[in-house]
Amino acid sequence: MLGAWLALTLGTPFLAFCEPAPFALSGFGTLAIARSTDGSAQFVRNLSQPEGLGTSWRFENDSSLGIQANIGVREDLEAVAQVVTHYRYDGRATPDLTWGFLRYDPSPTWTLRAGRLGTEFYLLADSRMVGYSYVTVRPPVDFYGTLPFNYMNGADLAVTSLLPSGGLVTGKLYGGVSRERAPLGKDPDFDMSGSVLAGAYLDVHKGPWQVRLSHTRMRFKNDLPLDYLYDALPEATADALRVAGEWTHFTSLGMSYDASPFQAQLMVSKTGNTHAAFQDTWAGYLVLSYRVGELTPFVGLSAAKSSPKRLSHPLPPYTDLYLQDFHSDQRSLFFGARWDFMKNTCLKAQVDVIRGQADSEFLYVWETSEWDGSMAVLSLSLDFVF
Amino acid sequence: MKLFAKAIVLLLFSLATAESNDRSGIVVVMSANSGIEALTREQVINIFFGRFRKLPNGETAVPVDQPAGAPLKSAFYRQLVNKDLAEIRAYWARLVFSGRTAPPEQTKTEQEALQLLLEQPGAVGYLWEGSLPPRLRVVFDL
Repeated sequence: MLGAWLALTLGTPFLAFCEPAPFALSGFGTLAIARSTDGSAQFVRNLSQPEGLGTSWRFENDSSLGIQANIGVREDLEAVAQVVTHYRYDGRATPDLTWGFLRYDPSPTWTLRAGRLGTEFYLLADSRMVGYSYVTVRPPVDFYGTLPFNYMNGADLAVTSLLPSGGLVTGKLYGGVSRERAPLGKDPDFDMSGSVLAGAYLDVHKGPWQVRLSHTRMRFKNDLPLDYLYDALPEATADALRVAGEWTHFTSLGMSYDASPFQAQLMVSKTGNTHAAFQDTWAGYLVLSYRVGELTPFVGLSAAKSSPKRLSHPLPPYTDLYLQDFHSDQRSLFFGARWDFMKNTCLKAQVDVIRGQADSEFLYVWETSEWDGSMAVLSLSLDFVF
Repeated sequence: MKLFAKAIVLLLFSLATAESNDRSGIVVVMSANSGIEALTREQVINIFFGRFRKLPNGETAVPVDQPAGAPLKSAFYRQLVNKDLAEIRAYWARLVFSGRTAPPEQTKTEQEALQLLLEQPGAVGYLWEGSLPPRLRVVFDL
């Protein structure tokens, strides 16, 4: 991978992308190592990862390599395909087709895309894997960690217009079907394929400010693969914990302020459910950065807090134990710096200090009885585009 | 306290002089036949950052970047939004790899940029002030 990085970054420049050629190949990647200070729970980048960071340095969780082809079919029609190799739900790095769509731009106002698209739950959700595009090593886990979805098969329609008072407003509608899976520790993977995703956002850009309000709903096609649990519980209790046919909704408000060299980004989200399997959650983060020449130091805060649904037919202690697996109650302070030491390549270092309750388990994997809800994470990454 | 005030004045002075190296004038230009008389700073930002590429006459704007290594390119983005080229590349990495707008046309030579500005309908570019070739018009002065 290092060889590939050298060959790629020193070879063709990223901005060769902008050639007015009908075909352009470009890519991005991250080589990262990270570890935590606590072996009693493993820290994952998001819930699609089966194993996480422990007390020894690990390369898998934040490293990735993506290649993208843009093919200009006509002046107003473009085909885009993107393949990314990253640490997947099954522990392998088999490349995934993350994007594969046609984009139709009949005018600067309207854009229609159809095919396999990135999910746009939150401001950065569709570029989470492109480390070179943001200052931190990874998007804040308290906020983005619960999203195991990267793409859907569907379509989106966006319309942009000037505001009379200056500024721009963009509205977007999107919908599709998931094709992904999420790991569940020692249980079989949760198959999310066939689940319907639909949502919309409204985005306002004015001067250095950008504000986005978004709402997405997901209707699960399949139940969690926990038949042994459902079978052991009374029917009414089991039904409240089933997700098939039920909805989870994601509402978020994001704000960014970009007055270079200073930048700030604030996001708040509320996740709700029509079932009791997952907990309703509030999450948020704030990141501040200030560029000084090639160096961009940053500092941030993030938090996640969930509350279990009250079961009408609880069966303690089994249902309590089950619900606890999906509980979050933690906050993180993170700080570090990005160093743009050469063209198209940067180095980042970051420390996360996480403080939480001992029952804050949802965002981790393989917790042991010694888990007390707190750890620190140390990360280094080399991010590049070509 | 006096020393502190002095330090602040010195710091501000050094920042101001550092900035002045970048302050040679830059103008945003379009073809004289484009029918566009003037653009605002906000319109120039919208066009070069791919937020909204519609000209006041309704046509599609085509932003044209000067050669990647040219001091003019980095000075343009510095004066327009106070960003260095690494930040501009990070910005485009996000948009390109989430399948949205394409960055400005990247030319290899000044000559190529000039040719695009003259021949491509809707082309918007930038030049050092005072070097305006015939058949181009200044639409915004940075």
